[in-house]
Amino acid sequence: MIRQYSGISPKGDLLLIQRLCEKLKGRSFLHVNSTREGGGVAEILHRMIPLLTDLGINARWDVIEGDAAFYDFTKKTHNALQGNREKFTKKMWEHYYEVNRKNSRKIDLRADAVLMHDPQPAPLIDFRPRSRKSVWLWRCHIDVSNPMASVWTNLKKYVVKYDAAIFSVSKFAKSLPLDEFIVTPSIDPLSDKNRELTEREINEVGRRFNIPRDRSIILQVSRFDRFKDPIGVINAYKIVKKYNDCILILVGSPATDDPEGEAILNEVKEYAGNDPDIHILMLPPDSHKEINALQRMSDVILQKSIKEGFGLTVSEAMWKEKPVIGGGVGGIPLQIVHGVTGFIVYSVEGAAFRIRQYLNNPDMARRMGQNGKEYVRKNFLLTRQIRDYLSLWYSTMHRGKNVIEL
Amino acid sequence: MKKIPEPFEFKECVSIVKSTGEKARNLIEMRKLISKVGNECIFHHVYQYFLKGHILEYTNDFAEWAGETLEERALAERLASIDPYTLKSVASVRKAILGEIDGFLSIFPEPRDVVSGSEFYFNETVNLVFPVGIKTKNLAEFLVAIEHVDTGSIYYHFYDSRVRLGEGVMDDFSMWIEHTLGRKKVAEKIRAIDPFMHSIESIRKHIKEIVEEYVRADMEGVAY
Repeated sequence: MIRQYSGISPKGDLLLIQRLCEKLKGRSFLHVNSTREGGGVAEILHRMIPLLTDLGINARWDVIEGDAAFYDFTKKTHNALQGNREKFTKKMWEHYYEVNRKNSRKIDLRADAVLMHDPQPAPLIDFRPRSRKSVWLWRCHIDVSNPMASVWTNLKKYVVKYDAAIFSVSKFAKSLPLDEFIVTPSIDPLSDKNRELTEREINEVGRRFNIPRDRSIILQVSRFDRFKDPIGVINAYKIVKKYNDCILILVGSPATDDPEGEAILNEVKEYAGNDPDIHILMLPPDSHKEINALQRMSDVILQKSIKEGFGLTVSEAMWKEKPVIGGGVGGIPLQIVHGVTGFIVYSVEGAAFRIRQYLNNPDMARRMGQNGKEYVRKNFLLTRQIRDYLSLWYSTMHRGKNVIEL
Repeated sequence: MKKIPEPFEFKECVSIVKSTGEKARNLIEMRKLISKVGNECIFHHVYQYFLKGHILEYTNDFAEWAGETLEERALAERLASIDPYTLKSVASVRKAILGEIDGFLSIFPEPRDVVSGSEFYFNETVNLVFPVGIKTKNLAEFLVAIEHVDTGSIYYHFYDSRVRLGEGVMDDFSMWIEHTLGRKKVAEKIRAIDPFMHSIESIRKHIKEIVEEYVRADMEGVAY
């Protein structure tokens, strides 16, 4: 399986994955999260588990099971950890622990390395088998830089019991009495969302959504959410339109867990008015190939967020050699090196200015796109994330050393 | 019988970032933390800057933060001028950085705070070093290899060696070319490449051009 990435991922990453798998051969690596389908974590695990198994690691993936009250609680926790105010009761926390206790009986927690994803299974650390020498890691995929204090205090009780914690970005990390690693998320270059498409496939999607291909296309892919600033994107497009004839595509998926989504979509539609060059598309969540095609037919891709987690749509666009413009929030500045792999902007006017720069300087746009693809190749592909997890596991077996010779 | 030269074994270094949990909101906090953090942290923010693979305006993370986030360009320029490879140790680099910051704070003693999210985050790394499975016995083989190895390998042999092997050592490539192959002139040309002015890709290009010139001359029987 790893061979599929040969010629795509950096050679060193593939080589190190193989070397580490030789060293860790036969050992067990358990991942636990809260969903088998949907979301970036499940997407990565679907790919990573068979790949590790293929390389001789006894990799397993279990999903924690809970009732409606548990999921309602963890959804609230998720929001509160990202800074929203939510109401919690002692009973809710007890139920959360109880669900984890029940799961500890169902899931075989005996493994050489255990990676718990996000807060849902965090209390499983209390059920760590004592008889076995193992490494337990807690992986936080969300931005916990400004959490609701009481929620973090409660969660922290479990986190500090792990051997190490993993965060996506330095600024998401907390001051904790344990090793904290930074592992950025990644995209899979072989998935439907990112694989190469033929001209025919791209044209077919263009025809299906009535996208004219005779002018420059500006695109933003994101949920209809105020933090993604879709109105700001329309305003930027309107400024650009005065000098450069272009079309704008705003594409998103309906989010069932976001009651505000529908209202914002209507607001955006109303704001766009009857401009025939603004295309607002609502696609089912599994429209990976369609998104891929829309990205590939675009000339400039925006992620003009004003609040963001990591914002992997930026890496997806860069992987397709597209010139990108992003808001300077969350993980976007890690992907866009301003002036090298794209532009960071802080205002509607700034976004419009950079779009015009790209449209009027195709050579620069091409160069930035190429830099972007290379940057993603080195930093944001799935193989790098697998490499990091294995390295981290191996390094915890050599604690105290900061240079490890293999 | 002629002695077979020791082959050059290409290795690569991959770094896993570890957070120290410390962050600075302003220059005074930064100064305090630079004096407190471990050598691995200073090493990461200064020496491993070159691993990033692109050249920005500055030559280390502290200078970049001072210039881009604090917008204190004069301080950034001075921090960027600190050459970690001519200083003898991480301790001397730390001292030089603190000296520049102290000089600045003596003139501007009340630095402003940056907005939330733009703080300087102090990290360090765990480094995994592994052979990439390529060994070369002569300049022609070396030329083929240098074109194909990853940038992490060039970083390891061109930058990391200067710290790893101690004072007086420049880079692994020129050391091997001079001492094992006995090609002093090639080695000198490689040593003349300014490590500050190039991305790793551009270092690769320069080394390739230098070695190619000599390999071609060897084939044509031109004595260098």
